[in-house]
Amino acid sequence: MIDLNNVTKRYDSLTAVDNVSFSVKAGEYFALLGPNGAGKTTIVKMLLDFTRPTSGSLSLNGFPSTDAVCRTAIGYMAENNHIPPYLSGWQYLLRCSELLDINRSDAMDQCRRIVELIGMQGREYTKVGTYSKGMIQRFGLGAALIGDPKLLILDEPTAGLDPIGIREIRQLLDSLKNQGMTIFLNSHQLSEVEKICDTAAIINRGKLLVKDSISSIVKDGDTLEDVFVRLVKG
Amino acid sequence: MQTTKALPSIIRIAKYTLIDEVRQKSFVIMFVICAIFVFLIRGCYQGNYTVNGQYLDSVTVVRALSKVTFHIIGAGVMIIAALLSMRIFRRDRNEGMQSCILSKPIARWQYVTGKIIGLWTLSVLFMFILHSIVFLITSINLNVFMPEYLVASLLCSVNLLFVVIAVLLLSLLMPDIVAFLCVLGVGVVGFVTDGIAAVSQSQMAQSMMQQSGSHPQSDLAWWKVVYYLWPKLLGVQQSASSLIGSESIHGFGPINPLINILIYCLILGALLFHCFRNEDIV
Repeated sequence: MIDLNNVTKRYDSLTAVDNVSFSVKAGEYFALLGPNGAGKTTIVKMLLDFTRPTSGSLSLNGFPSTDAVCRTAIGYMAENNHIPPYLSGWQYLLRCSELLDINRSDAMDQCRRIVELIGMQGREYTKVGTYSKGMIQRFGLGAALIGDPKLLILDEPTAGLDPIGIREIRQLLDSLKNQGMTIFLNSHQLSEVEKICDTAAIINRGKLLVKDSISSIVKDGDTLEDVFVRLVKG
Repeated sequence: MQTTKALPSIIRIAKYTLIDEVRQKSFVIMFVICAIFVFLIRGCYQGNYTVNGQYLDSVTVVRALSKVTFHIIGAGVMIIAALLSMRIFRRDRNEGMQSCILSKPIARWQYVTGKIIGLWTLSVLFMFILHSIVFLITSINLNVFMPEYLVASLLCSVNLLFVVIAVLLLSLLMPDIVAFLCVLGVGVVGFVTDGIAAVSQSQMAQSMMQQSGSHPQSDLAWWKVVYYLWPKLLGVQQSASSLIGSESIHGFGPINPLINILIYCLILGALLFHCFRNEDIV
């Protein structure tokens, strides 16, 4: 579903991503881990063609990432998600469904279902300007779910959420995984990742340190956090 | 991607651009002020004017003043189009709409085309409504019916396309306000060179240069280059306004300013698509 082949991204003298290769299979729940500035968001941006790699290639659903068609069945939620403050959450969701060419009645049905799924009933018609960061994150996730995507790319989806919100999102993502959705998660929440992900990759300073199943990375008696700290600190 | 498949996305992005701009309070205030200004001008049509001791009839006065208002509205809306365009990419980036749109199966060229069409349509509507107010005032209040006024307004829309594309392109390369000032500068220089050209072609200027012994051809070569190559925004307005008061389409002025602006639109448009293709989306 996702393939990175010798991907390198340089910003002048800084190498943000250094010759990274890995793949994520369909139906996998994958986490990309790394400290701040490791190159995680750069990889996500290259997957969505928000920035181009200096060398190497990326492909999604068998299409090169530079081809807009590859984003046909993809849901994306950005880190620090923003929504125009003059729209209501409902208008935002409708706009996202219109952009996916979903007809009006189907879009209304989907948006209604998603509002329920993200637990925002009763607040969907108020302006986004009045929402908290957590509420904006929920609508961001809702927008990513429009069109029933096969692949979900989430950049820090639980950032800004309270513990109850984090648990709700985790449960939601778990149920999506059970429905066969591929999830690419970019996160700092190691305990969450350990609980729910199948595979993980750890990168540091742009280099891929490990990519394997969680059970292979975390040995008996260790936690993912222990392994993460050990690998990153070298 | 097939053009037929690409079209709905372009139209939707254009629609969102238009709706989001109209939603802004600053836009509504700007529009109301402009409309009030055009309404206030109507008093000028009803005065008594004499030139060289000769009394001017009302039709001549209306036609002459309508042309002046036509130019003022044309130039004013160009500034407004530049103001609307200068912040469009930054606003979309800050509000998350750029990443939202481009994470969908929508290509960058579709996004940029949608933005251009949205802004252009909005500015053309803005100008057309103001020109229509003048048309209605002259038709209803003064009984001078000039449908060619509206045709001329539509011809001037080419200028707005140039302004929108130029500001969008420059806003990718420099701060928004500098992009706005640069396009404003292009307009001012164009107006000045067109003015110099008009003066130099007058009989009075020709005879003055002959008396002073200067050679018009060699002295004026520098600005002639500028005159021919610079975006001819005033030229388009003059050509369009030549329709006002003329009996048929044959009254239309030289077509080269229109071609000049269209060529600029193509070149700047190609540069805009190229620059945006290499732009990092935040």
